Amino acid sequence: MIDVKRASAPAALETKGRRRIALFAMKGEYVAILSIVTGLVTWQILSDYLVANSLFLASPTQVLNALVALSVSGELWPHFGTSAIEFLLGYAIASILGIAIGLLIATSPFWKSWCQPWISGLYATPTVALAPLFILWLGIGIWSKILVVILLVIFAVIINTEAGIRSTSERYLEMMRSFGATKRQLFLKVSLPSATPFILAGLKLGIGRGLIGVVVAELYGSRLGLGRLIGQSADSFNMPDLFAAVTILAASGISMTMAFSKLEARLVPWTKD
Amino acid sequence: MPTHKLASRSLMKRFGDLAVLHDISVAIDDGEFVALVGPSGCGKTTFLRIVSGLESADSGSISVDGAIVAGPGRDRGFVFQSDCLLPWRSVLDNTLVGLELAGRIGAADLERTRKLLSLVGLAGFESYFPRQLSGGMRQRVNLARALAIDPKILLMDEPFSALDAQTREIMQGELQRIWEEGRKTVLFVTHQIDEAVFLSDRVLVFARRPGRILEDVQIDLPRPRTLATKREPAFVALVDHIWRLIEHDVRESVLLEHR
Repeated sequence: MIDVKRASAPAALETKGRRRIALFAMKGEYVAILSIVTGLVTWQILSDYLVANSLFLASPTQVLNALVALSVSGELWPHFGTSAIEFLLGYAIASILGIAIGLLIATSPFWKSWCQPWISGLYATPTVALAPLFILWLGIGIWSKILVVILLVIFAVIINTEAGIRSTSERYLEMMRSFGATKRQLFLKVSLPSATPFILAGLKLGIGRGLIGVVVAELYGSRLGLGRLIGQSADSFNMPDLFAAVTILAASGISMTMAFSKLEARLVPWTKD
Repeated sequence: MPTHKLASRSLMKRFGDLAVLHDISVAIDDGEFVALVGPSGCGKTTFLRIVSGLESADSGSISVDGAIVAGPGRDRGFVFQSDCLLPWRSVLDNTLVGLELAGRIGAADLERTRKLLSLVGLAGFESYFPRQLSGGMRQRVNLARALAIDPKILLMDEPFSALDAQTREIMQGELQRIWEEGRKTVLFVTHQIDEAVFLSDRVLVFARRPGRILEDVQIDLPRPRTLATKREPAFVALVDHIWRLIEHDVRESVLLEHR
């Protein structure tokens, strides 16, 4: 009897320990999914029982219903389309200009000194605060929003591009020089590829900043756009519609960032693993 | 006067107050394998970099086949201490980089480069990326890249110093085998005396402060040399002789580093 007890006690401890470890040893993806599900359930319970007043919070199911209703009625699409155009145009312009300016200041000390105070100053400034001014200048249409997006995205791109070129390993440059590389060849065959991961990181950072720009600028004054939908819904205490618009923005941000990570894995595989 | 493959005439180089190289005059003939050994700070790497054109001398000259050298050129191939492989290029593209800079990659160049990769033992790895290779394999690419431009002289800057001891032994044998194939003129910097003796026809022993050549030691051991060569009395005696030449300097430089 005594022997059996002695033998079983550690065994029981072991199973308990193993079960505890099993939860923490789950694969990362499963933990993430579990975390999202827990969050949604908590949100649902909170809005059903604690903040039951739908003037202040909408439950996930209400948001889903609102999403379906908005898309079926067709009310969503002009808002979505307008914001998408504002974001994409502003983002594209900021990317092209940002990379160009970044390359220019990385290769020319004069232009670097010339631009640096503006870049440092404007990167740190919450330029969205200028949105009312831009609306005054450019009107209530898409171009005032595009300008805000450009201002929010471009400095992240410039700074990253410049840092990427500047951080090119001197060893690679010297190796290429030993083979008689010209300045142009050094730039095209070493600096540019070695800066690519940085440029992509800047562009990725720009996605979130650009989305903020679109929404905030639209809140200041617009006829269409997801920001407009949010403002309109807030004014009429329509929480499901408000959350529906936010959900679309979040989903766009997440999917664009994920697509970007895929692109990075293809374009700059050497920075991984 | 016959022209040498490589000649250095009264080369001088100072970094501030420090005489890094003092009156270095050497003549190296076609197909010779010459090692430079010496304590750290003796200027052997600086000398190699001046020969390559990556650095310039204060006075004196370097000539290849009688023509004075000013700046890097494709008549000299440099094998770097750290492999310096471009991480975004495959093994083949890394090896082709010198030819690419010269703007001429014909079918014949491609064919020759592939043969070169198989000569250094990398056949089948052409499409691999540097991050997928071991340290020894990366140094093989480093060597193939320098050979790909078919230089008159191969300059090697401690190429095996980052490798572990066993890999280094293998690579020494491999380098000897590859060198036997083409008999290029080689200038090989190392701090390992046995490596220098094993590979070379001549060992130039450097002293420090100022950096100068102490002795030009002929290595007449028969080739091909094997691992067993390193145990032979003649080999051991040569290593011992060179060690005695630089022992005092090495002790001094070690003391300096630890002060």
